[in-house]
Amino acid sequence: MKKSSIILIAIIAVAIAMILVIYTDSSTYSTFTEAKEKKTELYVVGQLNKDKVLHYDPKTDANKFSFFMYDNEGTECEVVFRGAKPQDIERSEQIVLTGKMDGNVFRASKILMKCPSKYNDKSVVTEINATAFNN
Amino acid sequence: MDVNYVGEHLLPGQIGQFFIVLSFGAALLSCIAYFFATKNPEETSWKKIARIGFWVNAVSVVAVGATLFYIIYNHFFEYNYAFAHSSRDLPTYYIISSFWEGQEGSFWLWMFWQTVLGAILLFKAKSWETSVMTFVMLCQAFLASMIIGVELLGLRIGSSPFILLRDAMDFPILKQANYLSLIKDGNGLNPLLQNYWMVIHPPTLFLGFASMIVPFAYATGALWTKRYKEWISAALPWALFAVMILGAGIIMGSFWAYEALNFGGFWAWDPVENASIIPWFTLIAAVHVMIAYKNSGHSYFTATFLAMISFVLVIYASYLTRSGVLGETSVHSFTDLGMSGQLILFNVAFLVIMVVFLVIKKKEMPITEKDEEIYSREFWMFIGALVLTVACAQIIASTSIPVFNKIFGTKVAPPLEPIQHYNKWQSGFAVIVMIMTGFTQFLKYKRSDSRKFLASTVASLAVAIILTAIISYFTKTYTNLIYILITFASIFCILANIRVLGDAVKGKWKLAGSSVAHIGFGLLLIGAMVAAATNEVISVNNTGYIAVSGFDKVEKPGENLFLTEGEPVQMGEYKITYIGDSIAAPNTYYKIKYERVDEETGKVKEQFVLQPFAQNNAKMGGLIGTPATKHYITHDVYTLITAAAAESQAQHSKTANEEKTGFEDYEEPATYQVNIGDTLRYRNGYYVIEGLNKEAQLEKIPKGPNDVMVGLKIKVVAADNKQYEVQPIYLIKDGGIYDFNKDVTDQGLKFRFTGIKPDKDKLEIMVYQKPLPEKKWVVFKAIKFPYINFFWCGTIIMTIGFIMSIVRRNKEEKRKLAK
Repeated sequence: MKKSSIILIAIIAVAIAMILVIYTDSSTYSTFTEAKEKKTELYVVGQLNKDKVLHYDPKTDANKFSFFMYDNEGTECEVVFRGAKPQDIERSEQIVLTGKMDGNVFRASKILMKCPSKYNDKSVVTEINATAFNN
Repeated sequence: MDVNYVGEHLLPGQIGQFFIVLSFGAALLSCIAYFFATKNPEETSWKKIARIGFWVNAVSVVAVGATLFYIIYNHFFEYNYAFAHSSRDLPTYYIISSFWEGQEGSFWLWMFWQTVLGAILLFKAKSWETSVMTFVMLCQAFLASMIIGVELLGLRIGSSPFILLRDAMDFPILKQANYLSLIKDGNGLNPLLQNYWMVIHPPTLFLGFASMIVPFAYATGALWTKRYKEWISAALPWALFAVMILGAGIIMGSFWAYEALNFGGFWAWDPVENASIIPWFTLIAAVHVMIAYKNSGHSYFTATFLAMISFVLVIYASYLTRSGVLGETSVHSFTDLGMSGQLILFNVAFLVIMVVFLVIKKKEMPITEKDEEIYSREFWMFIGALVLTVACAQIIASTSIPVFNKIFGTKVAPPLEPIQHYNKWQSGFAVIVMIMTGFTQFLKYKRSDSRKFLASTVASLAVAIILTAIISYFTKTYTNLIYILITFASIFCILANIRVLGDAVKGKWKLAGSSVAHIGFGLLLIGAMVAAATNEVISVNNTGYIAVSGFDKVEKPGENLFLTEGEPVQMGEYKITYIGDSIAAPNTYYKIKYERVDEETGKVKEQFVLQPFAQNNAKMGGLIGTPATKHYITHDVYTLITAAAAESQAQHSKTANEEKTGFEDYEEPATYQVNIGDTLRYRNGYYVIEGLNKEAQLEKIPKGPNDVMVGLKIKVVAADNKQYEVQPIYLIKDGGIYDFNKDVTDQGLKFRFTGIKPDKDKLEIMVYQKPLPEKKWVVFKAIKFPYINFFWCGTIIMTIGFIMSIVRRNKEEKRKLAK
């Protein structure tokens, strides 16, 4: 067998191993209940509770925004986001949070919102990061 | 039901639609004719038909573009495309950008470039024309079908840019005959795209994508017509061109992201970015193995496979970004037009062509049975290409998670920290690839002297280690092993290539292109690594942070800083002041003054004003910030507005409108017991109680015989000596006590005459004052990016290297043909 063929096989093996490892790095879409049990960073999908007050007061703290959200199981939880309030979150129809549970509060590091577009029936997705990427 | 719609311009749309259909038909005809022309080279009539088809297609494509431009330029909002992607106030040069905000326009752009490339092939490809153009025109027909917008057997094929608004949307208002008079303006262009980089980034990127069909078509055409060996040198200049343009397009996108987007960086491993870099990786690998084959006869299959898969991956990339499959994972993919079936078909068609040719012709391929020498350049070029392919496989695997979810019905979420996830893998690959790119320079094709090789390598390694130590020290990246390794590998690669360049100066000029490109890539990598690893948020908010209740203690201080107009704040080495703003609709520019003050003398050493701007855009969901950046040679200071006063004030007034009492705009009132002649102060001046007016009258309320109606004359004197007279009224009517307040709107004052106290000989008044107008404020974020200029600089050098290589390979091919 040629050297190049041996190396080719070796590299394909490495590639397959790599793809398996990638899947251990991947995450799951989860709920607040699960977040409470696991205490690790994960995604939570849900909707904003529009009846409760969204709290953002940049004068006292420009980096704190809190609101209440229902996950897809209907569990409500307070969410605290270290960053400025994403504009138009009131209009969002779906929110994907990245973060973890801390006591009874979910600390979000990223908010991905899906808002109905004003002019057409397609949704617009917006992503807001809590902090820069170097954290 | 027929309605006579008023004011529509239907002719341009019909012309445009006609040319779309014509372009599809002509492309298909040309493809078929080229197919038969390749099969029967003696019969020249096939080639003639094919060429006519090509030119009809070319004219149609240009006509479609011109019509679409005419529609957008003249604001014919009866067309959905013009309505959705432009508005009246859009400057002409951004009309060009609105072309590629939508999928239809960007498909057109792809078609247009393919037409240009096709025209060049028509004149230059000579004996390759028929076989190569068969595949180019097949792709052209597929692209035309994406914008054809017709229904066939209940299936909608493509999405036409000439569809009317009233057909595209289902709003009752659009059923009225005069609906056009109700549409004042279009939806406008996404503010993020209103940037000069967006005028040139998409055309460059699409030229890169489009030109990748050429190596594919050469490789496939070669297998088809059994001209196995020839295609490599013929397609090499094209492959280099595609790699150069796509590379430049990707970096332009990255520069746009850095200059105009608000995610605070130049590369975020967003699926859309990944989609464009995937084919770049494989084609880079292809270029290297193609050169290796040309010089040694090894790696034929790999070269052919990589050239072909690159274009299949281009189509896969457009499936990822256009089908809506990325939906939840990417911010800036296109919206779904319901064409994923068609895109999959496009993808599968070219994949099948590739697989069929590779399998059927495998036995006839010129594959050598000889074993490669370890001390040979081609061997390591081959290994390097494989490593690049594996690196690419990692990006494909991670980016395709939503696709796998769709296929297998799973619900796997992508990695939580995508940047760390990709960086972890790609930095490892980068180190391996760069070290190989370095030492391979010391090897010769076929067989090299191992002693000489080791001597040169060790010498370069030693110098690289010293330089790495110095650079790591100055860029402060010595804390992390992988950073050091990347720096070392890149430096080693640069040094090795400088040596080759040194030889080039002595006369071997033809090798210069690749070494310049390698040096550029090495610099790019160091710049990207240092900027990404050591960028720091300098707008760290320490104040106001402690004041926040208990549970925030565990977290680091926020990265947004609150600035009130005119009040300087110290931020690191800078004193920053928000000095005001100016409006250039639709943007508001916020002036942030930066000053560096000498601590001892108090002198201002340096000062500059950055003007990040923001646009309040309903379509994008509120305030969209665009950063402003101060460029230094060694670092950049990047500033972005994340919230501003106008926004919150607008929200305040909204709530006030709901239940208005007339007093909520005022502060808590003050009550005074006064006598005639008293003078009292208020915030902006004073007022004098001048006297009572017993003759006071009120409209609508007649004075009864037992009623008391007294006015109190008050003179207000403001600080600027302006005088105002007011007369609040006190009324006792039918035993009830009332009072009627009076305002001095200019001064934000409201007076009530609330009582007469004869026992104390006093009059009682209540004074309401409006709070001082709220000071303007902004919330902003500033990031320092060190050594990012290496990144841009490396890109430019790399592009120059590619140009040199293209010139060289093109000359070689011409010389060969001349023989």
